[in-house]
Parts: sequence; structure tokens; C-alpha cells
Amino acid sequence: MKLLLVEDEPALRAALLDSLRPGGYVVEVAADFAQAYEKIKLYRYDCVLLDLTLPDGNGLDLVRALKADGSPAGVLIFTARDTLEDRIAGLDLGADDYLVKPFHLSELNARLRAIIRRRQFQGQHHIVFRDLLVWPDQAEVLVRGEPLALTRKEYDLLLYLLANPDRVLTKEAIAEHLCGDAVDAADSFDFIYTHFKNLRKKLQEKGADHYIRTMYGVGYKLSSE
Amino acid sequence: MKLLAATNRYYLALAAVLFAVGSGALYYGVNRALRHELGEQLAERRAVLTQRAEAGRPLPAPPFDEELAVSARPRPLGFADTALLDAEEHEWVPYRQLTFAVRPAAGPPVWVTLRKSLVETDDLLKVILEAMLGVLAALLGGAALLNRWLAGRLWAPFRHTLGALRGYDLHQHRPLDLPTPAIAEFAELNQALTHLSQRLVADYETLREFTANAAHETQTPLAIMQAQLEQLLQLPALEADPAAAPLLAELYGATRRLSRLHQALGLLSRIENRQFAAAVPVRLDELLAEKARHFGPLLDARGLALRLHAPPAPALQMHPGLADSLLHNLLHNAIKHNEAGGDVTATLTAGALEISNPGADPGGDPARFFERFRKHRATADSPGLGLSIVQQICAYYGFGLSYAFEPAGRRHALRVSFTGGPIAEKTAVLHKR
Repeated sequence: MKLLLVEDEPALRAALLDSLRPGGYVVEVAADFAQAYEKIKLYRYDCVLLDLTLPDGNGLDLVRALKADGSPAGVLIFTARDTLEDRIAGLDLGADDYLVKPFHLSELNARLRAIIRRRQFQGQHHIVFRDLLVWPDQAEVLVRGEPLALTRKEYDLLLYLLANPDRVLTKEAIAEHLCGDAVDAADSFDFIYTHFKNLRKKLQEKGADHYIRTMYGVGYKLSSE
Repeated sequence: MKLLAATNRYYLALAAVLFAVGSGALYYGVNRALRHELGEQLAERRAVLTQRAEAGRPLPAPPFDEELAVSARPRPLGFADTALLDAEEHEWVPYRQLTFAVRPAAGPPVWVTLRKSLVETDDLLKVILEAMLGVLAALLGGAALLNRWLAGRLWAPFRHTLGALRGYDLHQHRPLDLPTPAIAEFAELNQALTHLSQRLVADYETLREFTANAAHETQTPLAIMQAQLEQLLQLPALEADPAAAPLLAELYGATRRLSRLHQALGLLSRIENRQFAAAVPVRLDELLAEKARHFGPLLDARGLALRLHAPPAPALQMHPGLADSLLHNLLHNAIKHNEAGGDVTATLTAGALEISNPGADPGGDPARFFERFRKHRATADSPGLGLSIVQQICAYYGFGLSYAFEPAGRRHALRVSFTGGPIAEKTAVLHKR
């Protein structure tokens, strides 16, 4: 799985790289428009992660160039300004999804997974994690072959966790993932707890115990051990 | 008091004093001149009579007795005023008299008294005074009327300027465009005001750009902070010290709040700067249903029931982002200030949207709820910008916005009326039932 990360801010680029690497991706980086343009013209990527505000050009032009070349690459755009116009323009041009800066890295992982899944690259039709087998197309979850009945929110939560294995997920990131970025962090923590409790209980009943660890004062983590 | 009325008052006072003094001086002067003239006439006659008597001719017989009196006995010499009874009209008539001694060529000296009636003099004086006073009064009245007329005409540019100043709105980003009237003072005033407004607009633009840039530029470091804190949370070393991770998590949460605050302030300033010109038809009923789904988990977590009465309604011309923000902030406010087991009731009609929820009496001035950074509780985590944003959006689209608290049902209700007509920021109808 080959990705191109286009981000002009070095510190942010480094943090993004760090968070993407455990996902098993091959990540190439471009620091500006010119580099990015050259790379998308020369190489093929499975997904391009693109900051729209670049010092030497508009990221939307890169989306245009990709689509003009008939590239099959998925496109995830970052908009620093939360201007609706930019987002709409990006999506209209064929971008798969957008993230408003500043975003949670765990959310980036989840969105990236979703894009890749939708495009069904490399025949990745299912997700395997320890004893779990998930068929996202059918929204089906199996624990050791036995189906697990989950509510919509619990299923969303599980997919989100599966996109970020062994990663500490903050309460803020989880709440915003479940409720959209419009919900204030301050008033959203109480419902995360309930969802986690239910999901854990259901997993436990099927014998998948200790999958989700509580990180005291921080959030949760899906543990592969 | 109007400036013109004030100056007029002084003019009139001065005119009245001058009028009084002038009348007195006129009376005194004319009277004195006439008496002097009369005295000269009497002195001339004395010369004629004296000559005649010295030449030995007899004194003439006067046509009227009162004009000439001759006495053999000495009398006080010189000019004197006297009054004689008019036998026919039975009234006293004033006279000026001159008494002198005449020595005829033959015979003893006699004392002659020449008299002239003052009646004509008085009449003349009266006519002169009346004419003069009449002209003066006409002048005074004319001046007052002229002033009033001029006030309407000459001050028209001033009133125009005043009107333009009253209607001036800095948010329109346009300097005052004042004409150059013919009157030099007003032209100068308009020039100075136009210059002032140009500087205001320039300063405002600078400030606005600064704010926008500052907000934008801080987003990048915030994004870096947030991303690196999140990476820091992944470090296995954190597990060695159980206190470290929660500290980092709090830092992470604070960064998130700061960036939300920036976004809210940025939104407010963009509304103020009218950067949401694009409007599309927005179906509020559909948007309301979408928002309800959005808030579903939060409502469930709080144990709140959502009562949605939103029949299909005609679309409103709005910017989709602002419509979204309006509903979001209204619903969020109703959820935030709710009580356990309460409800959020949203009622949409063609003309208004009302969102109500139960809650304790907030106390205080309802108008202040819309102030920025106004918090219901001092400890609340949210910055308290939600209702300010609602108010700004309503002002932007000319919607009416009102708040009501019903003590009986202990319900808060926020009502947005789409037909509220253009309302100013401060004049949103706020009342407490």
C-alpha cells in the first residue's frame, strides 16, 4: 500500500509519518506543490493525503491533475481553513474525503482505511484482528466464526478501533468520530463510556476478552496482545 | 436648544435693546432739534419787532391773542415753556415763549412775550417716531424670518451629513461618501469626516486582516501541537508513570479546545465581515432531521428526549454553512442547559423556528446571554460563543431572535422568526415573560 503525503509543515509531516508507519504503508512525502506534482506524474500511489494550502500552489490543482490523468488513487484532503467552499470544491473534483485541520491522527487512520476499503485495493475485503473477522461490505463481525450482533454505533466504534490497533485513542478523538466534529469534547465523554461498556460486554460474551484496554485519564486502546 | 434658536435669541435680545435705546435717542434728538428750530423762529421775530419798535412804528396786532402779549410791567426775560387754555377746545395747549423788553422810540419800555404753539412739533415728533419705529420693527421681523428660511436652506448640507453619519456602518467597509457643499465650513466638515471614515475603514481592515491572519496562523502550530501530543501519548515509556499519560491527555484536550475556540471566533469574524454571500435554498426541516441524528448519541447519553415538529417547510435562502451552524448551536445550547430527564423540543413553521428545553431560571438580563464568552456556569468548558454565533447569523439574515423563560413550566425558549425583518445587533427583541 503506497501513499503520498503532501504537507508543507515539517513538524506536522513528521507526526503524520509516525502515525501512518505502524499501519504497514509505504509512505512517500512531498513538502510543496512542485515536489508533489512531480511525484504524482512519475509514480502511482494508492492514496494521496493532501494539504490544500501549500506555499507554492493550491492543492486543488493537484486533485485536478490526478483526476485528469485518470489516476485510480484515493484522495484525502486536509483543509486548514474550515471553509466550506474548499471542502466542496475538493469533493466535487473527486476527492474521497476531507479532514479539517487540526485533526486527530487516529481519525486520519480511520478515514484512510475507509477510503482504501471502499476502493477495495489488493482484494482487502475483510479485516482480521486476533479472533475477529470483519466483512465491512456486509457490516458483518465474526468472533471465531460466530456472528456478533452489534448496534450501528458499536460497529462504527469497532471499525474505528480496528483502524488504529495498539494505538492510544483519546476520548476527544473517539467522541468526535462517533458524533461528528461538531460536538464539544466537554459534553461528549459520558456516552463513550456506555458504548465501550456494551461493546466490551458483547466481545466478552463471545470469548474475545481484554481486547479493549482502558487508558486511565486518557482514553482507550485496542490491544493485539 | 438648536444652534440657530440660540443665536436668534441673542440677536433678538440685542435688537430689542438697540430698539429701546434707539427710540429714546430718536425722541430726544428730534424733540431737541424741533425746539431749537422753534427758539430760532421766536428769536427772529424778536429782532423784527425790536427793529420796528426802535424805528418808531407801532407793534403789530397779532391775529391770535396767544401769539403776542405786551405788558407794561417787567416780566422774567428769556425762553420758557407754558401752557394756555384753549377757549374753544377747553384744553391746555403747550407753548414755547420768549419774553424780551422793547424800548420804543417814544414812550416807556414794554415787555413783549412771543409765543408759538408746540402742538405741531409734538405731532411731527409723533409721526417721525412712528415711522422710524415701524421701519425698525419691520427690519427686526424680517431678519427673524430670513434667518428661519436660511436655516432651512443653508443648513441642509449639515443635516445631510448628520444623516449620513447616523446611518454609517463600519461593517460595510465603505468610507463615507459626502458631497462638497457650496458653504466652505460644511465643505471642510464633510472633507474632514470623509477623511476620518477612510482612516477608520483602513484601520478596521488592518485589524480584521490581522485577526484573520492571527487565527489562521495559530491553527498550524495548534495542529502540530495536537499531532505531536497524540504521538507522545503512544510512547510505551508512559506506562512507567501512571500520572504522565493523564497530564498529556489534558494537554491534548486543551489544545483541542483552543482550536475550537479559534474556529468559533473565526466564524464570528467571517460573519461580521459578510464573507458568506453565497446563498442556496436550504430546507430547514431536512437539516433539522440531519442534526437530530447527529446529536442522537449525545441526547441518549444525557437521557434527553428530542421532540421534533418539523413538517416540510419552504426553503430559505441561506449559506449552507451558516444554516448548519445556526441549528447546531441552537440544539447544542438546548442540550447543554438541560436538566436530567428533560427534553429538547424543536418546532419549525414557515415563519419561525422555536427550540425549547426545561431548565432552572437563569436569572440576569436575557440580553446578556448573547454576549461573547458569556457562560451559564463559570466552570463550563465551552467558551460560551454558541449564542453569539446564533445572534450574528440572525442579524446577518435579518431574522428576529428572541429569548423567553416561562417560570411556570420552567422552560427556556429561543425563537428565530424568519420574517423578523432586518434587525440590528443590539435591537434583537429580548424579553422575559
